[in-house]
Amino acid sequence: MKSSEVRLERLSKEYGRMVAVDNVSLAIEPGHMVALLGPSGCGKTTCLRMIAGLIRPTSGDVFVNDKRMTDVPVHRRNVGMLFQNYALFPHLTVEENIVFGLEMRGMSKSDAARKVSEALSLVQLSNFGKRYPAQLSGGQQQRVALGRALVIEPAMLLLDEPLGALDKGLRESMQVELRALQRRLGLTTIMVTHDQDEALTMADKIVVMRDGKLEQVGSATEIYQRPASKFVAQFIGASNLFEGSVEQRNGSGAVIRVSPELSLQVDQLPASSSDAMVSIRPEAIIVERAGQASAAQRANSVMARVDQAIYRGFVSHYYLRTPSGAQIIVFEQNQSQQAGLRYAVGEEVVARWESPSNHIIARH
Amino acid sequence: MDERFSGFGAFILYAITAGMMLFILAPLLLVMAASVSDSYFVTFPPQGFTLKWYAKVLQDRDFLEAMRLSILLALGTTVGSLLFGVPAAFALVRGHFVGLAAIKGFLLSPLIFPALITGLALLQVLNKLGSTDARLNLLIGHIVVTSPYVIRTVVTSLQLVDENLEDAARTLGAGRLRTFWRVTLPQIASGVAAGGLFAFMVSFDNYPVTMWLANSEYTPVPLVLMRQLVNVFDPSVPAMSTIIILMAMVGVLLLEKLVGLRRALAA
Repeated sequence: MKSSEVRLERLSKEYGRMVAVDNVSLAIEPGHMVALLGPSGCGKTTCLRMIAGLIRPTSGDVFVNDKRMTDVPVHRRNVGMLFQNYALFPHLTVEENIVFGLEMRGMSKSDAARKVSEALSLVQLSNFGKRYPAQLSGGQQQRVALGRALVIEPAMLLLDEPLGALDKGLRESMQVELRALQRRLGLTTIMVTHDQDEALTMADKIVVMRDGKLEQVGSATEIYQRPASKFVAQFIGASNLFEGSVEQRNGSGAVIRVSPELSLQVDQLPASSSDAMVSIRPEAIIVERAGQASAAQRANSVMARVDQAIYRGFVSHYYLRTPSGAQIIVFEQNQSQQAGLRYAVGEEVVARWESPSNHIIARH
Repeated sequence: MDERFSGFGAFILYAITAGMMLFILAPLLLVMAASVSDSYFVTFPPQGFTLKWYAKVLQDRDFLEAMRLSILLALGTTVGSLLFGVPAAFALVRGHFVGLAAIKGFLLSPLIFPALITGLALLQVLNKLGSTDARLNLLIGHIVVTSPYVIRTVVTSLQLVDENLEDAARTLGAGRLRTFWRVTLPQIASGVAAGGLFAFMVSFDNYPVTMWLANSEYTPVPLVLMRQLVNVFDPSVPAMSTIIILMAMVGVLLLEKLVGLRRALAA
């Protein structure tokens, strides 16, 4: 299968006065898997449907391999699409479902039959051809939908929350499987999801959307470690966010005063900034007993009391409260022989972290 | 309702159901009984037993001619109201345009307007248009009256069809028309069949609109029945009625056999 380059140029969709997608430009490399990630109503599904041709943009264009597709009707775009509820034709058998797209292309019966059996074995359902969708489990139905989408050798694969209806275990194994298949076929794939784990697991590039606009585009690592905005910092994973003003400059960095008991050392801060928002991931913070270390007057270090402690198997969550009332979330990985939680509720502790963990949020 | 009725509740339910059945079916049974009465007037209870009224009716040229006309008219009406009603229903359910509610109300209005007025209005309009062929006028009139039934049943079954099925078909390379034919229509087949049956039956026994549009040359069954009723009220009238009742029953059973009544009337 050949890989396509997909490009969105200033794509917008308005419904009356409501702007669903607002001036979105995006380039997707051939063979990449891109996840459009965001809360419901952020415009990600509208975006995907405009790429498919199911929705006509109010303005802007979709290009595939530099060919303008905006005026090409959906049935001539050659896209494979998966839907959350599978959208299998209930009155047709698995085979008839898969052959549908080939019939539409006028392929001869014998060629089509060969293709269908190839597709069935690709999705590991060779013995299920004569069954009806209602006789299959959710996971099997989505495999049929995948086979049906792949058999037409689409220019790209579009996934609309494809695994949302499956339960957790099956969803995770399907994520890995789908990703492996997509890599093997080198098929340009665009996926819509509101599940950050799904996006992190599957995508080469994550596009975070909010209110119809692109919030941040980047790899999983970039999005997680260097969120560009407060929204991204809070939407992907958990974040401790602090705001403060510059107390002292040192080299290219600065000390940011957040509260009387907490200051942050940041290594890079534009000279023009007089205040800053800093995000610290919960797993970057180290907790120690109050007696062992003194927090006094050191940056990136604060006295706190344990408000809540939750044991979650491989990780413990601590919710700390500083004297001025700020909350700090800490995730601590548990050791295999560890006897439960390391700190009890009410205990006085010191939370500290390294300067590189202080990430400046550019937009807030 | 997941729980089965039992005990006193079940007794009440069965009693009310039986009472309603009797209330609805008794008059029909009465008509059937009167049709085999060996007397010159309609009486109940019937006196003796004879099938001679059926023999008479089945040799009655007027009645047979009316049957032929009514069946052809009902078939034509069924086809016409489906051709008009199915696309209309599709537009009402899938369309997003200004005035949708108003158009829906307009299309369903023949269900609410008094049929007598609809018939009179149609007669005047068709006269103005210079349409003098009674058969054509009847066909048009019946399509107007029966389309709302088709639209209603098809709208109901269309609302149950997942729009993603159509989107999936289109991404797989089917244009709008093929998508409708290959994917949508099989999903709504039962609703279309039910609408068609309604159209046939409503057309077949429509009196108030038919009355205005028929003429002496083309007289459908309800008019013949009424004329007979007024002239000589002998047991041939219940015999004709019984034939029509049996026809309706065959229609319903056929629908049940083909698509399942419960599915067809899913609403």
